[in-house]
Amino acid sequence: MEALRRAVAREVEGLNRLIYHVLRGGVLLAVVFIATGFALGALNPAGLPSAPLNLSQLGQELATLSPAGFLGLGVLLMILTPVSRVFLSVLAYVDERDRLYVLITVVVFANLLVGMLLGLG
Amino acid sequence: MDLVLTLLALAVAAFLAGLAGSYLGIGGGILLIPFMTLVLQLDIKVAVAASLVGVIATSSGAASVYVRDHLTNLRLGMFLEVATTLGAISGAFIALLINRSDLFVVFGAVVIYAAVYMARSQGTAKERAYREMKQSPLAERLELGDKYFDKEDKGVYRYKVARPGAGFAISAVAGGISGLLGVGGGIIKVPMMHVVMRVPMKPAVATSNFMIGVTAAASAFIYYSRGVLDPSLAGVIVLGVFTGTRVGTRMMVKAKSGKIRLVFAILLAAVGVFMILRPLFPGVNF
Repeated sequence: MEALRRAVAREVEGLNRLIYHVLRGGVLLAVVFIATGFALGALNPAGLPSAPLNLSQLGQELATLSPAGFLGLGVLLMILTPVSRVFLSVLAYVDERDRLYVLITVVVFANLLVGMLLGLG
Repeated sequence: MDLVLTLLALAVAAFLAGLAGSYLGIGGGILLIPFMTLVLQLDIKVAVAASLVGVIATSSGAASVYVRDHLTNLRLGMFLEVATTLGAISGAFIALLINRSDLFVVFGAVVIYAAVYMARSQGTAKERAYREMKQSPLAERLELGDKYFDKEDKGVYRYKVARPGAGFAISAVAGGISGLLGVGGGIIKVPMMHVVMRVPMKPAVATSNFMIGVTAAASAFIYYSRGVLDPSLAGVIVLGVFTGTRVGTRMMVKAKSGKIRLVFAILLAAVGVFMILRPLFPGVNF
């Protein structure tokens, strides 16, 4: 049974394995930052943000090691994980020389960028 | 409401949302938004923004497991996401034009129809019937067919994907609704893939789980930059959801597909009824 499972796993190209590791790392990093943020907030309840954060403030907050900074960074990292996943897929399909799916994943990534730009507009 | 109490209650709700979400291939937004607005009395926009982060957390939290177990059909997900992301962006623009009550009724009707279909369809663990199916030329060209390993009975199953055109169109609509209502869309994507495109239940759940994260990311940035994303709420949702996905994914990979389908059908029916009734009670803040 394990042999069968391993046979399927072997067919899982580098694509999947890379995405798996990056996603796991990104998610764990985001969780660690958020947990740290709350831990800092427990020590200093006044530091917990209820106000939403924008990017320029984030940099300042991080410099002071505030709960708001860590929480903000962790949340931002979290939002970026699907984006990085799509980006990595583009690279992986380029590597596989699968032109059709390079095109498809690039279109998806472009749509995400449009969403991001519209947000900033 | 006291901040700490709010955050703790939200953490528990997020855990359940993450568990149910990863098990069913949905984002949990459909559970968290009512909780945040009705129970925690938060503003709807704040709730939607935080919920979108929860959808992403469900997606990325469960994703590593589903990709590792080769359940996710990446090609199918990417192909459909072309439509969903376009739909989500359009949905945000269309939001101004459509009467929201009408939308809820249509949404509810579609969802109930899907619920009935899901509950009725014959599903055995050995979904070998899919193997015999002839794939459409478009699906062949897009190489949408795949195989997966089912832990329930330790079998490897090949499947082919049907009606990619219909799936694409429905995904665009799902994206539009996602952009309008702020949900991940898994509640449409799973039945669409399973019933319309003949994808077996577990790959459908895993692929939907992948897709909702991408869809939510598009809208999330818009909310983030508009300043309605509360990091404390989002943060606690991430922690709760992440923990929930640890349990949910474990349950899903081992479950009988029929059981997942039944749970999903029940959830759909409940959501559908709620959606249809909602416009009749305009005072209640969804």
